[in-house]
Amino acid sequence: MAETVEALTPVEPPASRSRSNRRSLGVIAVLVLVVGVLLSQGLLKSLNYFETVDQALGQRASLGTKVIRLEGVVEPGTIERTNAGASFTLAGSGSHHVLVTAQGSPPQLFQADIPVVVVGHFVSATSLDFAGTQIMVKHSSSYIAAHPNRVKAPNGTSR
Amino acid sequence: MMKVTQRLLGPVTLLLLALTFWMGLWVTPPDKVQGNLVRLLYVHPPIAWVALYVSFGTATIASCLYLWRRTRSDAMDRIAHCAMEISVVFIVLTLVTGSIWGRPTWGVWWAWDARLTSTAILGVFALAYLALRRANDDPTVRARRSAVFAILTAINVPIIHFSVVWWKTLHQGASVLTSTGQLNVHGSMLWTMLIGFVGFTLLFFWLLRERYRLEVSRDARVRTRVDEALATRRSEGA
Repeated sequence: MAETVEALTPVEPPASRSRSNRRSLGVIAVLVLVVGVLLSQGLLKSLNYFETVDQALGQRASLGTKVIRLEGVVEPGTIERTNAGASFTLAGSGSHHVLVTAQGSPPQLFQADIPVVVVGHFVSATSLDFAGTQIMVKHSSSYIAAHPNRVKAPNGTSR
Repeated sequence: MMKVTQRLLGPVTLLLLALTFWMGLWVTPPDKVQGNLVRLLYVHPPIAWVALYVSFGTATIASCLYLWRRTRSDAMDRIAHCAMEISVVFIVLTLVTGSIWGRPTWGVWWAWDARLTSTAILGVFALAYLALRRANDDPTVRARRSAVFAILTAINVPIIHFSVVWWKTLHQGASVLTSTGQLNVHGSMLWTMLIGFVGFTLLFFWLLRERYRLEVSRDARVRTRVDEALATRRSEGA
């Protein structure tokens, strides 16, 4: 009987603390690695995702033909569709303008008077012409009904 | 009263979500610029709201309450764990719905801007939290370490929120929680979005309740098995 009681006495658990610590350190190491990769791709390279037209022209000499993301508003009446893509004038907040010639098909929402971000570079060290390789539409946070004054007819159709 | 509220939680959630989808797909007008793409507005911001603020926030608050001696309990640890699991699901949904909207609108599935990158990092944090829980065998150590981790990583939430204000991002600024307090969404579009916010928030609490119950019954089952094993052992020794 005394032997049975001894057998049921709680025993010391196996040393799992150090194993848990090792595993935790492993998780933290993987976390640091993944977050490091994400930060190097995102926040550190492009904390500010683009240069505005005004900023790009302000630092025109230092930019040279470096690849940048250029942001501005597509000036109405300047869009020309070409076989390779589109050309248009990008306006800054002041009187600054840049002529953009972009390759590839623009996004679905690309249109006049809309803010866009164009990836590309100035064609030469002194030129104000910009060669784009990709156009991204920068949508605003305003959502406006397409036809706010449209009324419904009794039969359910819109007029 | 509490029982009635709990009983109604599921049906009311389903009703509000159904209302959001019905209004979003059939009642609201197309957007002036986006056309029908705007319909994703009724699910993406509410899902992001739940992912970032409601679920991660609940996990953080529960973690604080666990670390505070006066309110320390297994229940707080369980709530933090369950909320973080739901947060992972909603963060993934946020990134997926954002991508689906971004492709036709921006022209790209993904952009390495501050808002998107910091949201992805939050997803990694949430996954790391769950991994950290599995890495620790001792329940007390597990609860303490994961609570500290949740609180430390929650610093990313305000960074995500203000990223569109502090830095230049492709992602647009806030539509509802704007810095000026001005709402930038028109009429029925706004109401549909707000119903979506309430519906998805209730969905979170519904999921949390069910997940919590599951966790409690799982713990009870483990305890019963241990008791049964001990009883068997004792009877063998008798």
